Amino acid sequence: MAGKQYLHLSMLLGGTLAVAGCGISIPTDPEGTLDRISGATLRVGVTGSGEWVQLDAGQDPAGIEPDLVRDFAESVDAQPRWIPGSEHELAEDLKNGELDLVIGGLADNTPWSTHAGMTRPYAESTDKRGEAVRHVMLVPRGENAFLLALDRFLLEQKVTP
Amino acid sequence: MSKPAQETPDTRKAPRFGHTELPDEQEKALRRAKKFEWITLAFLVFSTALVFAVLGNSQAMKAAWIEDLLSFLPPIAFLVATRVIQRRPSEAHPYGFHRSVGIAHLVAAVALVVMGAYLLVDSGIGLLSAEHPTIGAVQLFGQTFWLGWLMMAAMLITAGPPVYLGRVKMKLAEKLHDKVLYADADMNKADWMTALAAAVGVAGIGVGLWWADPVAALIISLSILRDGVRNLSGAVRGLMDARARTYDDAEADPLTDIIDRYLQELDWVAEARSRIRDEGHVFHVESFIVPKGGRLPPLECLEEAREGCIDLDWKVQDMVLIPVAELPEEFLPGVAAAGGAR
Repeated sequence: MAGKQYLHLSMLLGGTLAVAGCGISIPTDPEGTLDRISGATLRVGVTGSGEWVQLDAGQDPAGIEPDLVRDFAESVDAQPRWIPGSEHELAEDLKNGELDLVIGGLADNTPWSTHAGMTRPYAESTDKRGEAVRHVMLVPRGENAFLLALDRFLLEQKVTP
Repeated sequence: MSKPAQETPDTRKAPRFGHTELPDEQEKALRRAKKFEWITLAFLVFSTALVFAVLGNSQAMKAAWIEDLLSFLPPIAFLVATRVIQRRPSEAHPYGFHRSVGIAHLVAAVALVVMGAYLLVDSGIGLLSAEHPTIGAVQLFGQTFWLGWLMMAAMLITAGPPVYLGRVKMKLAEKLHDKVLYADADMNKADWMTALAAAVGVAGIGVGLWWADPVAALIISLSILRDGVRNLSGAVRGLMDARARTYDDAEADPLTDIIDRYLQELDWVAEARSRIRDEGHVFHVESFIVPKGGRLPPLECLEEAREGCIDLDWKVQDMVLIPVAELPEEFLPGVAAAGGAR
């Protein structure tokens, strides 16, 4: 009996690998975010946060995170479009598929994890109470190919505030 | 009615369930069962730690992890119960401590039902609200890759060993007539399906089918809930003194018939019927005997009959014989319909 069970397991594993070999890359985005942005627009929600995101009227956002996003967008052949708003507005937009990415000095214990997925922490800073802040960006939930591409990019950077 | 105490310093250390000394075969099975339960616990520590490390946002992985955590209960219940039931009956506990097995069984069953129901609702909400599970990158040995691969690997690594443990423990459960061990072995044997379901769920996320994950979680919760309900009904039936059943609850234990037949074949017995309750490992037997000619036999005959029954099976030790003028319907339901002897 055990032999049969392992046969099933190996068949499943083989099937998975076969699918992987047939041109579907794993992971794949259920909503196709990564495919959509390449050669097109990356919609980025921005909210001001010290040196991480600086917003000045009439100018593109500046600071650590906008710079990172510009470099990432270039790496996937996308053009960032900046949409300013409060964290609440941006989180709701992200949840409803109207944004691809949200930045604003967010940390990995952000309460918006109910609305969004997040990248791996890619930088660490210390707040004024001396507590460590692990910085993340917010992405749409379940867009795993897009997230993986962003994670790969961010983890290669040496970000020091 | 009681056997003269045969306590010597040597036998006091022999493995026993209450005042039942275990025959060699059962003693060996008990030792092996304890060893394998410790191995199970060691494996569970490894697998829960491994799965926790790669848990991520997958609902199916969460369900599989909770099932792993719940799998700690039956081995712990078994190990605690086998310790407790070694104690001899005392004045305060004239029936011994056998029921500790039933209590442990009930507690484990309730935990399974509660967690199964919780996970079922949680996964159902996840499916209905179309929450897309988010799984990103992981860094390991200087490589950055998708965490989903690690999740699937963890599930496939932890799928195999419980099946083996379950098969070994199943055989021991039969020898020891231990229903907690049986429930544990049964859950272990089915554990590969949980692992496979979780791996399929994560693979589904991988190919962009977000719903594969909550669906896999639903399947796992249903299996936990099913285990819980089955164990709960078994545990309750045991504590309610239902008719003794075989170790896997598949059928009525044949011992009732064997004892009745043995007693009926004694030359001074006209009719005999027993009621038996399962105390966990050992049976409490009450046998009603109608002597031939309506006359009480000499006490030696009763004593001999009792010894004979005890020699039939190691599970029989706590036994009373009740000579009666006719089989009492109120204590032996169904006796009239069956016309006395079966």
